[in-house]
Amino acid sequence: MTYNHDLAVLSVGAIATIGLYTILYRENRFYRFFEHLFLGLASGWALVALWTETLKSLWWDKLVGASASDGNSAAMGYWVYIMLLPIGAMGYMVFSKKHNWMSRIPIGIILGLYSGQQFNAWTNRYIPQMAGTMKSIIPTAGFFKPDPNALNPALGPVKGDLYGSEALNNLIFIFTVLCVLSYFLFSFDVKNKLVKSASLMGRWLLMIGFGAIFGTTVMMRFSLLIDRMFFIWIEFVKQGLFHLK
Amino acid sequence: MATLDPTPKSFAEKLQSVPKPVLYLVLFLLAALPLFFPVKLPNKPIDASIDFYAHLMQLPEGSKVLISSDWTNSTRGESMGEMEALLRILMRKGIKFVVYTTADPQAPQVARDTIRKIADEEGKAGGYRYKPFEDYVILGYYPNGEGTTSAINNKFLSICEGKKDWPENSPPRDVLQSPVLQGIKSVSDFKYLIMVTASSTNTVVLERVTKAPLMFMVTGVMVPENTTYYASGQLKGLCGGVKGVYDLETLMEDGLNVEGPHKVLSEKYTDVIPGFPGKQNAGKGNAYYPSLHFALFLLILAVITGNVGMFLSKRKGA
Repeated sequence: MTYNHDLAVLSVGAIATIGLYTILYRENRFYRFFEHLFLGLASGWALVALWTETLKSLWWDKLVGASASDGNSAAMGYWVYIMLLPIGAMGYMVFSKKHNWMSRIPIGIILGLYSGQQFNAWTNRYIPQMAGTMKSIIPTAGFFKPDPNALNPALGPVKGDLYGSEALNNLIFIFTVLCVLSYFLFSFDVKNKLVKSASLMGRWLLMIGFGAIFGTTVMMRFSLLIDRMFFIWIEFVKQGLFHLK
Repeated sequence: MATLDPTPKSFAEKLQSVPKPVLYLVLFLLAALPLFFPVKLPNKPIDASIDFYAHLMQLPEGSKVLISSDWTNSTRGESMGEMEALLRILMRKGIKFVVYTTADPQAPQVARDTIRKIADEEGKAGGYRYKPFEDYVILGYYPNGEGTTSAINNKFLSICEGKKDWPENSPPRDVLQSPVLQGIKSVSDFKYLIMVTASSTNTVVLERVTKAPLMFMVTGVMVPENTTYYASGQLKGLCGGVKGVYDLETLMEDGLNVEGPHKVLSEKYTDVIPGFPGKQNAGKGNAYYPSLHFALFLLILAVITGNVGMFLSKRKGA
């Protein structure tokens, strides 16, 4: 690609970025134009990709087969793939008042396939976490873990030993799990003071957790802004316009 | 006709009502200025990043990994840095890879561009330049992430059938003819399934792929959720957000347990795992990390200022 082509691409990107950021000042036509441009491009790209990356390679080519060319071997067509067309087309019957019952057939097939996977999916996702919660809280060695960089390797931590500081960490972890679980005891009226206190603590701990999640969300948004600044100032202005490294 | 407010704002009220454009302007300045003056911030990589790096570095040359590249330009700020760091490690170690996506039709092209950029960069630096089809294959986009991921786990080659990729300066060819896929019969033949993701495809993979060890590269907002999977051992390594990228770049520069002025230590690994000193290790992590600190500083300052203003106005009212 030539320098002019690269610079043109960068310039369009920079103008579009600035156009989209003008919303911070107020709603305006410049912003609207680039918003619609982006939506149009994304929709157009998705439409083409739907055919080239999905329907053609995963359905049409298998249906009609292929002759040997450009290093590709010949492939036989399987006409049974045509059966997928009416099933897929039935999904669009949702727009017909009279025939919308037909759309339930492909939806039912998808729901059935999805539901069938759920038991395995749930097991794979949560059972290891439950197992991971069973942590030991009884130390088997001293309180502080020795420095792994100790000059004498014999003074370093011994594998398999649980040091007091680690046991304390595990205790905090298990305490948090139990308190948060007690917060979700909705099915009966809790009168026990201990459970009530644990539930209240659970609420506080949840809030701390949500605060941490919110913090990472903000951090991510800032990262996206910094990236746009990098694109405009470094990639476009410094490297694109002034050819500086 | 608009009327002017006769009572001027008190200091406390002013603190609580800093105009938004001013805040935006300061934020833009703070985010942009450090980009011109790169500084190396001290860093202690976290265990999750160390695991990610160590597992990759311990792979023998010629190993193969499967990459789920589920990100586009909307999360370029974090995901591109992660992808670039990952590619630098893979290419320098001579690890071949297969890329697919279930998240977005734009993702394969974004991945293709990033791979080309890093391959060119490595080639110019005197290293081996990765070639499409020969050293990596892009399978493309698959809709229905749940079904595709189940197929990956149960019959990997079934998702390759009918897919084509472009060798260099040649028309597209059947991916099953690529040297990268020779010897691959199941997903278990890949050393790792590495996800670079900005969407919920992480849980889809976590729930369905059991035959290959998993490592994730996620955006900052996804770190808390994925840390639980890492802590329970479901993930072998985790790289999260700009901090994760900075960790990887630090490890690529300084290595692990390598003697030097910036020695990075790990209790888990007693072996010395070298980095790539003298190579282009600093990427988006090094570039963005100082700016992120400045932006977060502004946020904390704004929160304190608003609260001080509220406290002062309440005291005045009382």
